[in-house]
Amino acid sequence: MSFLGRGPVAPSSAGPLSSERVEAAIQEVELVTDVFNRIVSSCHSKCINQRYLDGELSKGESVCIDRCVAKFFEANKRMGEKLQTMGAAAG
Amino acid sequence: MSALPLVPPLFPAGKEPLPPGFTEDDRQVMLQNKRMQNYMQMGMESCIAKTVMAAGMGFGMGAFISLMSSSFAYEDPLIRQQQQAIGAISTTAKAKEIFAEMGRGMWRSGKGFAKVTVLFAGTECVIESYRARNDIGNAIAAGFIAGGVLARNTGPRGALWGGLGFSAFSAAIDLFLRRETPEED
Repeated sequence: MSFLGRGPVAPSSAGPLSSERVEAAIQEVELVTDVFNRIVSSCHSKCINQRYLDGELSKGESVCIDRCVAKFFEANKRMGEKLQTMGAAAG
Repeated sequence: MSALPLVPPLFPAGKEPLPPGFTEDDRQVMLQNKRMQNYMQMGMESCIAKTVMAAGMGFGMGAFISLMSSSFAYEDPLIRQQQQAIGAISTTAKAKEIFAEMGRGMWRSGKGFAKVTVLFAGTECVIESYRARNDIGNAIAAGFIAGGVLARNTGPRGALWGGLGFSAFSAAIDLFLRRETPEED
């Protein structure tokens, strides 16, 4: 990271801390957090018994959560691909 | 993989912050340990482990019940008369014979109980893994199957009634285990 022999670097060039890359990183973290929160809330409402009998996850609940997360990711991926093809076709 | 629970994955996969007191070199070891721990936990929660534990518990319960009931199963006046006629065997030999008989009874009874618990627990675990739900239907179905298998030598109607009876029994036990307990505070 030595700037010997160069003038002051412009702030929005493609350095490691440029504002574009920071913006992109912030977007990605927000996206991942949003997906995670959706997974947690939807799989909790579908899979976990509303009456808390035991602190541990029972066998049925843990199997249900595995399946729920796998389905969610699969559906997310397919929707992303579909949206991409639709976006490519439109624009 | 080593993220805190309920927190979205904020760090890229290999770069989570280390807990205080660990260096970068320990990361691989920590990852391996975590992986082994996950496998152990998955193994403990698997259907096979549950069946094995049910077998152990069933055997223990059967042996205990047989032990308790062997104390009032032994007085037989005819045998005492016979022994007095033949000539008394020594007390040690008699005691050894008694303990051997008790051991055989415990083994037989334990095996019987273990068959029941293995059938029920194994079937219930498999049904629960298939349905992915934890409610009383698992106990009812598993009880029906276990009762039917245990009563298989008495013909189809006997197996049907055996299944219904065992399923009612296991449903009653499950309802008791899931009852609403009064709030403690």
